[in-house]
Amino acid sequence: MKRLITSIGLPIILIFLLAIAVLSAIRIGVVNIPTSEIFEILLKKLETPNAAILLDIRMPRVLLAGIIGAGLAAVGAVMQGIFKNPLVDSYTLGMSSGAALGAVISIVGGISGGVFGIAATGIFAFAGSILTLLFVSGLAYKSKRLSSNTLLLAGVAVSYFLASVISFLMMLNHNKIQHIVFWTMGSIATATWSKVAVAALTIVPGIFILLFYTRELNMMTMGEEAAQHLGVRTARVRKTMLIIGSIIVGGVVSTGGTIGFVGLIAPHIVRFLTGSDNRRVIPYASLLGAILVIVSDTIGRTIIQPAEIPVGVMTSIMGGPFFIYLLIKQKHK
Amino acid sequence: MDYVIQVEGLSFSYRDNKVLEDVSFSVKEGSFVSILGPNGSGKSTLLKLITSVAKAQSGTVKVAGKNISIMSKKDLAQILSVVPQNTALEFDFKVFDIVMMGRYPFINKLRGETTEDIEIVKSSMSYTNTLHLSERSFNELSGGERQRVILAQALAQKPGILVLDEPISHLDLQHQVELLNLIRKMCVDNGLTVVSVLHDLNMAATYSDHIIMLKDKSIRYSGAPIEVLTSQSIKEVFNADVYVSRSSLGQKPYIYTLTKPHIESKGTRVHVICGGGSGSEILKELYLSGYELSTGVLAIGDQDWKIAKELEINIAEEIPFVSIAVEAYTANLELAKTADTILLTGLYFGRANLRNLELLLEKPLSGKRVLILDDETFSNRDYTDGMAAALYERIKESPRVELVDKNELLDKLARQVDYEALNN
Repeated sequence: MKRLITSIGLPIILIFLLAIAVLSAIRIGVVNIPTSEIFEILLKKLETPNAAILLDIRMPRVLLAGIIGAGLAAVGAVMQGIFKNPLVDSYTLGMSSGAALGAVISIVGGISGGVFGIAATGIFAFAGSILTLLFVSGLAYKSKRLSSNTLLLAGVAVSYFLASVISFLMMLNHNKIQHIVFWTMGSIATATWSKVAVAALTIVPGIFILLFYTRELNMMTMGEEAAQHLGVRTARVRKTMLIIGSIIVGGVVSTGGTIGFVGLIAPHIVRFLTGSDNRRVIPYASLLGAILVIVSDTIGRTIIQPAEIPVGVMTSIMGGPFFIYLLIKQKHK
Repeated sequence: MDYVIQVEGLSFSYRDNKVLEDVSFSVKEGSFVSILGPNGSGKSTLLKLITSVAKAQSGTVKVAGKNISIMSKKDLAQILSVVPQNTALEFDFKVFDIVMMGRYPFINKLRGETTEDIEIVKSSMSYTNTLHLSERSFNELSGGERQRVILAQALAQKPGILVLDEPISHLDLQHQVELLNLIRKMCVDNGLTVVSVLHDLNMAATYSDHIIMLKDKSIRYSGAPIEVLTSQSIKEVFNADVYVSRSSLGQKPYIYTLTKPHIESKGTRVHVICGGGSGSEILKELYLSGYELSTGVLAIGDQDWKIAKELEINIAEEIPFVSIAVEAYTANLELAKTADTILLTGLYFGRANLRNLELLLEKPLSGKRVLILDDETFSNRDYTDGMAAALYERIKESPRVELVDKNELLDKLARQVDYEALNN
């Protein structure tokens, strides 16, 4: 399979798969929209009976899924590179839970709803994400050298703590439970064009900034000192990436809640196929992340119709076993 | 430019602990400088300050005439490259990509790597004999191959100065020599300046032009290996007992560590009668085994005399090419009398040193244990028309005399303790 991929080119395959995923995702649902009708709606602007479903429900949902997936995968790849630990991503570092708590606080505080509300929730989510990240990495740095185990343990412990704070806030605010659950489980069922806009504005530029630093990130896998010897301003690169990463996670969580494991799985599959060079890993993982979230969401909303499985639950069902597989592989190294 | 690195009044504290205090030195262009010192003497910190990874609280470091505190990391990386102790990667990279990272300070972010960069990477890989590893994964390589790849990366920076932090401490002997030969070659061929922390004193002595010895936060000794590496300086800096031998051409010192078996505590002294090089190896070996030694009568300038001087043992000495006079003879007798054992080596006898045999027939020595080496070759070593042979036969009559083989000498000497215990 590896040989086939290198001969055709992974990016071409990924773009092809993404196109198929997008097309199938907007096609399939309670109402199946035939492909010919989709093209009529999109290209000829025909007002067919399914136009509203396609344009107002399916399209924003699929786009949001794609953007969120790309963002999570890019952040996962970058965090793994910075902390030189293959098991970290925005989820295991506690960033997602932090962002979720930030979002929940903004809801409980009554600053949500509408475009401005999404933006405010986004800022709260960003703040929650970066504060958690600083706290977790600070804990791990405390033990002189950043130890991989300390980082993971701190991330998981903080995640649990934040999750229980969210539960506590849910208890106190019965009337908003429905709203809060959405953040903790991760769902894009309520996707709207304004959410797509918020996600696109926070996540897409972030991914491009991360792409700009891939060469430096490669060099930092040799250790920060070694990278400095080669002329990399590591402190600046690290800070920039952590801030951008937090913005992306803030964007993801404020529009889709906490969606686990995508940031872990996508970079690893890409590394397995093309090696660890971040100049390839980050863009390809972004494409793969988009595919994974679109596919998970589509399966989640069609498999037990008319009910829906939230996308966060779907990615965790697939990601959990993968995480354990990585742990075992790590031990044998 | 004469000096490429100038360090002045450098002091560094980590929290409240002083790590370096007022360190100053200069490094000449094209020289190989080794930094030696025990653990915790501040070697690694000094390297961190020179390579701008850490900032000193006071003092300056100038590289190629420029103060590094106002240089950008990229500018410094264009002049100076660093080889760390060992490198391990959490995520695996191809060897070629690793070496290409050395071009980072020269690569324009938007344009990417040029054909010139690729040429430089290839040539530094072929110089370090790693070109054939190009497509391999870095983590699959052996320790020696990895260090050569990292060296290739450092060379791809086209540096004027190479800084190494214990580059050979994780390598086996073959790869240690290989790597240091390569670095020395670049020093000579390309005028590369090398500053390296090394643990192995003999490697440092062999490869360096200049040695800096650190102890307790500051420089204790600085100079050519032959001047700086002495048994006293090593005792002072490393608190280790060594014997420093000098090669016959006098350029490179060689350091032996001393072993101290239990016998030394009993204060056993051996008086060695030798000359003409017959005692050199024996004196060294006995010295390293912890015996107290004396020797005589030796002609001044004789090879054994030189060794005895190096070892700083008592010598009864005589002017060269004259017969042993009374003064030297009595001095020799005094030394022999106070020794526990007398050892006669396979020296050549002429009329000048015949009295060294006479000595063994002296009354005061009649109770002494005498060990004789190389008995079977005696007749070839006698240039006295049989006079020595006559004395030799009389000496061998004594029951206290044992003929021993070189291989069993140390065993015999060690057993002397039991032997005397039996008599008492």
